[in-house]
Amino acid sequence: MATRKRLRRLALYICLALAALALLAVPAGASVFGPRQAHSPNASDIRTAYWVAIIVGAVLIIAVHAFLIAALVRFRARRGRSPRRFTAGHRAFARPAVPLVAIAVGLFVFAIVMTTKTRDVQATGPEGLGADSDLVAQVNGLSIPSGSPVLNINVIGQRWLWRFEYPGGRPGDRVFSYGQLTVPVDTAVLLHLTSTDVTHRWFIPTLGGQVDAIPGQDVSTWFRADQTGTFSGQSTSYSGSAYATMRAWVHVVTAQQYQSFISSKRKQLAQAQDYVSKKLGETTSGVPTP
Amino acid sequence: MTPPTAAGTARPELVTEHVPRRRQAWIERATSSDHKSVGMMYIGAALTFGLTALTALVVMRVQLIVPENTTIDPEIFNRVMSSFAVTGVVLFAIPLALGLFSYIAPLQVGARGVAFPRLNLMSFWLYVAGGFTIYGSFLWRPSEAGFAALPPLSEPLYSNTHGVDAWIVGTALAVLGFVCFAVNLVATLRTMRAPGMAWRRVPPFTWAANLGSYLLLICGPVMLAALVMLFIDRHYGGVFFDPGYGGAPILYEHFASFFFTGAFAFMVIFAAGVISDVLPPFGRKPLFSQRGVMSCMLAIAIVGPLAWMRNMYSAPIPTAFLVLAMLFAVALVIPIGLLIYNWIATIWGGTLRTRAAPLYAIGAISAMTIGLAGDLAWSLIPVGWQIQNTTASQGATIAVMVGAAVLGGFAALHYWMPKITGRLVGDGVAKAALPLILVGLYAFALMAFFAGVKGQPVDIYKFYGGEGLDGYNLVASIGAFVMASGVLLELGNLVHAYGRGVLTGHDPWGAATLEWYATSPPPVHNFDVVPDVRSSEPLYDIRRAIANRTYTWRPAAREAAPDQPAPEAVETGGPTTGSR
Repeated sequence: MATRKRLRRLALYICLALAALALLAVPAGASVFGPRQAHSPNASDIRTAYWVAIIVGAVLIIAVHAFLIAALVRFRARRGRSPRRFTAGHRAFARPAVPLVAIAVGLFVFAIVMTTKTRDVQATGPEGLGADSDLVAQVNGLSIPSGSPVLNINVIGQRWLWRFEYPGGRPGDRVFSYGQLTVPVDTAVLLHLTSTDVTHRWFIPTLGGQVDAIPGQDVSTWFRADQTGTFSGQSTSYSGSAYATMRAWVHVVTAQQYQSFISSKRKQLAQAQDYVSKKLGETTSGVPTP
Repeated sequence: MTPPTAAGTARPELVTEHVPRRRQAWIERATSSDHKSVGMMYIGAALTFGLTALTALVVMRVQLIVPENTTIDPEIFNRVMSSFAVTGVVLFAIPLALGLFSYIAPLQVGARGVAFPRLNLMSFWLYVAGGFTIYGSFLWRPSEAGFAALPPLSEPLYSNTHGVDAWIVGTALAVLGFVCFAVNLVATLRTMRAPGMAWRRVPPFTWAANLGSYLLLICGPVMLAALVMLFIDRHYGGVFFDPGYGGAPILYEHFASFFFTGAFAFMVIFAAGVISDVLPPFGRKPLFSQRGVMSCMLAIAIVGPLAWMRNMYSAPIPTAFLVLAMLFAVALVIPIGLLIYNWIATIWGGTLRTRAAPLYAIGAISAMTIGLAGDLAWSLIPVGWQIQNTTASQGATIAVMVGAAVLGGFAALHYWMPKITGRLVGDGVAKAALPLILVGLYAFALMAFFAGVKGQPVDIYKFYGGEGLDGYNLVASIGAFVMASGVLLELGNLVHAYGRGVLTGHDPWGAATLEWYATSPPPVHNFDVVPDVRSSEPLYDIRRAIANRTYTWRPAAREAAPDQPAPEAVETGGPTTGSR
């Protein structure tokens, strides 16, 4: 009996030590078990929701396994032991149901709050692009702060890259880029997603959640990058043979760099267009017209 | 005088046995409409396709073991990936459950057969035809349209091969088979229960069979409709899913998601039935609350499929619907939690014999708990935006499906193989395989989960280095291989036991449900004498009566046929000598 008691105490100490280790490991584990660091308000809201959900899940897992292991160890068949034949009495489920209902209701309400918060487009900050842009009050469930400049960018998915159309210029004559999206820092960027072929999905983990790009539909999402740098992501909707290569990069620059990027890009595009029309003119002039 | 009973009266009947067979054994097997024979064929075919799914998983994990791997062509990977989910769910998990349902459920309610035996047999051959259609296309060019063949990708403009047609037709045939199966089982369980076998006394596994059949009846036709519409789109100029003509590709996603979510609930209910049947005899203790287990399973069957939109949080669906889906998905934590509470309370206070069957059942509880906790996290809309369609959701789903179908299936086979073959399945190999499966599964599922949280999409044929994903994928691949070796070991154990296991008696576990009242294997007509049922533990009652020597079996007096004299009481000395 004494040895059993000692063993039990030893097991208790081991469990406590492991729990302490686990607590120590939390900061280290955050990088292993958590998402990438957020660089946009909506992404950080998603992080909050993730950590709450994963901790609730971990607590449930640990509780179930603790009871399972205890039951398995304590109630194994041994010589001379007979089972107690009992079944559930009246209201046997009231006690376990209370915490379960509390968890379900709590998570549900919390998730609704976080969903609304994630969808609230935050106003452009002081370092952001102050230029005038199209202002839209409500776009597909996103609520947009009135009076704040928002950078509207069309994102068009096609197999297997993304095309980005920047605001400014006539509709057929807009500045565009492929693969890499360049945006100013600290600016509310509104993305209008669509697709020209199959369904794609926009996902830059550091800048918010996933959104479908569906042919024939305009779906919106937003982000506001909090620092300069390049953030990568890739489509998460299977789109055929080269699906794994359908990546996207968001290049975040300062407001001045963004403006110079747009103007230089516009110049490049004009040059290219001139070149093409010249070549086209040469070839058509060489061909005898009937 | 027996008390009045629910489904008529029990009478001894004249049965003919050992009529010489005139046909070869395999023809007898293939054409027999006996529900037990059909169930065995289902189990055999499902385990074969399970081996295929396992191979596909290993192939995919070989490719994902290091970044930018080129071991396997992207095309080959996409073909394997496109058939993997449908193999795992439609050709392995559901049919394995159906085979056990077909074999065991009629025995558990004391039925002499099933209501529509030929429909039952036809459902099996439809399913096998579906499987062969999907895998037949591997001889030419199989589908590369993704795990659910979502349009517009599966429209002829982007998938102009007959592989997608084979995928559509094969899946449709199998699902049609399941619907036929469900019709038969629902009718059987409604009309052919033994006297006294009221619904509240039906064993949990049979209750799972009943609920699962209803689920297939509801979800199967939805998938069939989607597949037929897609087929019309591809071949007869339909525009159901063509956005260029006002069609809605998202409609197909709704339908397919509804079916796969229903299949998911089906597997959870199957596993719940198995665990609730396996734990009591090994703990020598009745189920903690039969009523509680049955209500929880019913709740899962109703609420589970209604949460289908929780796979589609990124789609342009009004927020109110997404919140509704989240409500159903989060509410599932209550019945599932109460089920687990029930199982722990069933072990509590008992004397658990640690044979392989209860250990696999406990392993199934553990794996499903971990997977469902991941599912709970993923059900919250903001978290879903982050981890759906990534390997995180795949890891959670695989933990639940392996827990339910593989561990739950192995527990069921360990428990019921003595009934099916009269031979025990060896415990030694099974106990060696269980830790391999569990450790491998946890390494695989958890690492896949955390890689997905970092943003690794599901279904990619390669991932890129320098994104911090290398370690996760390496461990996940090793875990998958360890799990696969464990599953192979246990499959070998089962195959060995089928022909060469140790011979055992008719009731090796001392269980309390009616299937153990029949001989092992049962005769074609299942029971020489159908007992009258007076509680949810009929065999326990019989054993106790024999121990107390108070039991004489009397047939109930006939009510509707006064011209025949009521038969005399038949002294069988207790039902044991009747069937032993």
